[in-house]
Amino acid sequence: MSARLLMLCAALAGLSGCALKPVQPWEKGELSRTDMLIQGDNLETRFNEHIYTSKEAASGGSAVGGGGCGCN
Amino acid sequence: MDNKSQNGIQVGQALLAAAMLLPGIGTVHAETAPERGSIGVKYLYYKEDQPGMDRVRVHAPAVSVLAPITGEWTVAASATVDDVSGASPRYHTAVSGASRMDDLRKAGDVTVTRYLPRGTVSVSAAYSTEHDYVSRALSLQASLASEDKNTTWNFGLGGSDDSINPVNRIVQDAGRQTVSVLAGVTQVLTPVDIGQFTLTHTQGHGYYSDPYKLADNRPDSRRQDTALLQWNHRFVALGATSRLSYRYYRDSYGISAHTIGAEWVQGLGDGWTVTPAMRLYTQRAADFYFDPVYDSKLGAPFPPGYVFGSSQASSADQRLSGFGAVTLGVKLAKQLNRDWAVDFKVECYEQRGAWRLFGNGSPGLAPMRAVSLQLGVSRQW
Repeated sequence: MSARLLMLCAALAGLSGCALKPVQPWEKGELSRTDMLIQGDNLETRFNEHIYTSKEAASGGSAVGGGGCGCN
Repeated sequence: MDNKSQNGIQVGQALLAAAMLLPGIGTVHAETAPERGSIGVKYLYYKEDQPGMDRVRVHAPAVSVLAPITGEWTVAASATVDDVSGASPRYHTAVSGASRMDDLRKAGDVTVTRYLPRGTVSVSAAYSTEHDYVSRALSLQASLASEDKNTTWNFGLGGSDDSINPVNRIVQDAGRQTVSVLAGVTQVLTPVDIGQFTLTHTQGHGYYSDPYKLADNRPDSRRQDTALLQWNHRFVALGATSRLSYRYYRDSYGISAHTIGAEWVQGLGDGWTVTPAMRLYTQRAADFYFDPVYDSKLGAPFPPGYVFGSSQASSADQRLSGFGAVTLGVKLAKQLNRDWAVDFKVECYEQRGAWRLFGNGSPGLAPMRAVSLQLGVSRQW
C-alpha cells in the first residue's frame, strides 16, 4: 500500500519535473511571498484543524505528530 | 513499570522533543532558515448550536514563537488554552439529556529544525492535557530539495500516546496509540505557481469510543489514509493570490470524505489584505453508525436488536454520520510596518445530512451551525 503510494508520488514528481521549464532562482520573487507559502498562518491552521477534527470524521493530511484530544 | 523507569522515559521524550521543534508540528519548511524571529498571539472565539440548543462555546488564546539560532537552527514553540463549555448530545442530535461540560485544555508543542544546504530535519513534541484526557506526541520530519530547489521531497514519521479517564468511569486509564507516516513532494511549477502533493497513513489502536455518548462502541483499531493536493497561484497584475486545496480521506471505519478549500488573498494597498475563503466538505457514514430509529422495546438510544454487553460496534455520534458541510469566511489583515501586523477573521460553518454528496443518508438529524472569530497580532524581530 505505502509502496504503491510512494511510487505514485514519485511518478507525479517525475512527470512535473520533465514537463516544466525549470524556474530560475531570479524568477522566484513572487514565490517567496508569505501568501505563496504552502503552509498558512501557523496558529490559524492549528485552530482550524482542531475545530474540524472535533466535528468531522476526517482529519489530518498535511502533517504528522499532532496529538489527540478528548474532543473526538 | 516502576516510577524510575517511567520518569526516565518522560525525560527521554522531553529531550527528544527539545531536540526537534517545528512551528507547524511536522509541516513542510522552506530550505533556508528564516533570518528574523517572530512572535504571534491569537485569540479564538467559537460557538456552535443546533435548533433548540446552544452547544459548545470555546475561548482560546494562543501564542507562537519562532526563533532563529546561529543561522542554521530554529526553535519554534506554541501554546494554547481552550476553555470549552456548553452542551453536547448524548446520541444523534437529541436535546433531551445532553451532557454538560466545562473543561480547560492546555496544549503546547516545540520543534527544533536544522537547516542543511539541500534540506531540513525537524523534531517535534506536543503535549496536551484536559481533566479526563492526556495526549503526548513526537514526530520527525525531513525535507530534501533538488539541486535547482524546484522540487522538494518531504518525509515524516510521528507517534502519539493518549490516555483517557472519563469522569463517569466507564473506563479507567484507557489508552490509544497511533503511528503516522507522511510522504510528499513540493514542486515549483512556474514563477507564479507552486504545488504540493502529500500522502499520509495513520495506524492506531486502543480506546476510540466516546465515553460520554450512549450506545457508543467503536472498533479498537483504526487505519486512516489521506491524499492532499495544494496549489497556489499568483496573479501579479491583480495583486492577488489564489490558494486551492483538495483532500481525499478514507479510513477503516468505512468513512470516506472529500474536502475542497479555496482562498483568494487580495492586496488592497497600504498594507491591507482581504481574504475571502470557502470550504466544502462531504463524508460517508461509518459502517457502524445507526440512524435515529430505535429498538421497539428498549427505545432511544438503542438501535433495533441491540444486545447489552455485545461487542458489536455501534455509534449514534453525529460526527460519524453521512453529511456535507460548508464554511464561508473572510479575513482582514493589515501590515502596520516592517515589524507589526494584525488580522481578524470571521467564519460561519453549517453541516447537514442532506448536503452529503456520497453514500446513503443519515436522515433525522438536526443541522449544526458554528461561528468563529479570530483576532491576531504578530511581531517580527
